Amino acid sequence: MFGSKRDKTGASGRGTDEALRLVKVSKSYGEGESAVRALDGVSLSLGRGTFTAVMGPSGSGKTTLLQCAAGLERPDSGIVMVAGEEMGKGSEAELTKFRRRRIGFVFQQYNLLPTLTVAQNTVLPLKLAGRRIDKAKARSVLEQVGLAGRLKHRPDELSGGQRQRVAIARALVTEPAVVFADEPTGALDIRSARDVLHLLQEAVRVHGRTVVMVTHDPVAASYADSVVFLADGRIAGHMERPTVDAVAERLAHLGDDINGSDYAAQLGV
Amino acid sequence: MFALAMRSIRQRPGRFAATLFSSFLGALIIMTFNSMHDTAAGAGVDDRSAETLTVAASVVGGYGSLLVFFAVASTLTVAVRQRSEEIELLRTTGATPAQIKRMIVGEAVAVALLGAALAVVPAMFGGQLLLDVFQDSGQVAGSVEHSFGAIALATGFDITLLASVGAAFLAVRRAGRAAGRRPGRGRTFFAYAALVAGALSVSATFLLDSDAEIMMAPPAYGAILLSVGCALFSTRILPGVLSVLEGPITALAGAGGYLTVRNMRQRAAQLSNVLMPLILFTGMAVATLYMQGVENDTVKASGLVKAADAKTLETLNYAVVGIIVAFCCIMLINTLYAATSYRVREFGQQRLAGATPRQVLAMVGAESAVLTVTGVALGSLTGFAGIVAFTTVRTDQVLPGQGLGIWLAVAGIAATVTIGTSMATAWRQLRTPAVEAVALAA
Repeated sequence: MFGSKRDKTGASGRGTDEALRLVKVSKSYGEGESAVRALDGVSLSLGRGTFTAVMGPSGSGKTTLLQCAAGLERPDSGIVMVAGEEMGKGSEAELTKFRRRRIGFVFQQYNLLPTLTVAQNTVLPLKLAGRRIDKAKARSVLEQVGLAGRLKHRPDELSGGQRQRVAIARALVTEPAVVFADEPTGALDIRSARDVLHLLQEAVRVHGRTVVMVTHDPVAASYADSVVFLADGRIAGHMERPTVDAVAERLAHLGDDINGSDYAAQLGV
Repeated sequence: MFALAMRSIRQRPGRFAATLFSSFLGALIIMTFNSMHDTAAGAGVDDRSAETLTVAASVVGGYGSLLVFFAVASTLTVAVRQRSEEIELLRTTGATPAQIKRMIVGEAVAVALLGAALAVVPAMFGGQLLLDVFQDSGQVAGSVEHSFGAIALATGFDITLLASVGAAFLAVRRAGRAAGRRPGRGRTFFAYAALVAGALSVSATFLLDSDAEIMMAPPAYGAILLSVGCALFSTRILPGVLSVLEGPITALAGAGGYLTVRNMRQRAAQLSNVLMPLILFTGMAVATLYMQGVENDTVKASGLVKAADAKTLETLNYAVVGIIVAFCCIMLINTLYAATSYRVREFGQQRLAGATPRQVLAMVGAESAVLTVTGVALGSLTGFAGIVAFTTVRTDQVLPGQGLGIWLAVAGIAATVTIGTSMATAWRQLRTPAVEAVALAA
């Protein structure tokens, strides 16, 4: 579906201003009576250079949303478009190749390879994709995240905050259209969490990347430009320029009125 | 802590399958051969039959037991090492090192006892079959009844238990220590001890008469001990092999090969546990098959036995040696399976970093290739030491006249088994979605 020819042309979605678009994406787990509908026809559109937090109570489907959008899970129905290109339903190898150029990840548990050094972990996605390794570029990304002095360290020699910063460098080095972050501060202390959030913010404001972050923490969400609320697998609201108090307030009353269709209509999808 | 050990076995039987299987198979082999001692001791067994049985039990049963000891120990070491995360978790929840040790060793005892107990009935049939083979070849009188008694049971349980407990004890001690990179002093000591003992055992061959019945024992013991020594030293040998093979691996396996080289440098200690059964298999197969070939030719040439008898004797000996070689091969598969199946999380992380399933397989394949080259080279070396000693004493030549056929077959099987098992297991692991694979807890 998405051969290498298209890979070259639409790499980072420079042809469109839309970084991510979901159209009526649904996903269920389990079968029959015990089936759980984790995502129920979610539609969403995010522009390039935006920083969006996805929030909701446990079980609201936020992680499923991120995994479907990032091509880690295949939705049951609906369309996912990254940088104007539709994500196919091909084999894992095809999906992997699609993700390589368009998507970067930051996970709560870092998922760095323990046998590789900081520098090797950072350039691994380029290596796997068979792309040219620009050492100077890799170093500058690591400098940007404040790890220039630790290139030869291995993950187990770093603190949690430092590991997450390596993960961010790894996500940014391929210059993806969208960076997905799944609870990136979930395992960190307050100070490291703040550093990580500043870095994600900087990636958007200074380097023009697009970041989608799943979190349950109103403080983390307040670093984003906008917040999308999820409840019971549907979009339950939207907030621009969030503040900690406003987000916490909205989260507390999320169960009161679940009205996802308004937001979808407002986006025009 | 023992209750916790029991619960952890009951909750996750799959995790113990590999160790249970290796204790079972080990005990089966030991009991089968050692029941020949019991049979020889039975009433009304003529001298010639008793001698044949005793020689079979003490020569093959003897080095077989030593082999089982190391094979079981290496599987268990792999299994315990994989649980370092769980051990860490127990430590953080307040378990003292002594409690953790009791749990791991307790589990090993339970699994070894179960494995040995399960092996009793099959070993009775196995012993009967082995006796039938001896009787069919006329080496043992047809009137001799198979007996499965104290010697078979005692050796079966003792050796299996000793190997399991010993390995669990050493492995948990290592896992309990903070993550130090340097190989322990104990390891170096054991490595030297095994090499010295192996060299002594091989040299002992020269002290024997050229037609002694137990001629094959010292070189076989020697080959096993030298193999163990080499496996323990392989943490230092592997980096050297890697630096030589780095170019070809990266050229052939691409980014997968890049990961292989980095991975193997860091995981040399774990890999040496996988190398142990591989070196043992190669060493044992090469040594015993060539020695048997030399023995057969010498018997034939001596003209002491009729041609037809020589033929039966040959078949018999190959059957006995074949059992041991097949055991080594199964243990190799078992260890490789255990070692690879625990890597599902690592594979998941690689896939999340952008590796396609094919690249992960290429990495595993390249890794197995390096292991095969190293293992077959070292195994051939240790086997060769035994062969040269045996051939020199038994005949007036230094090298056996069997040609390279056996060696090529052994190397071929080693390569197929190592690469095949690892890649098939990895391929199965790849069916777990990457996100789930990294979320799988210890």
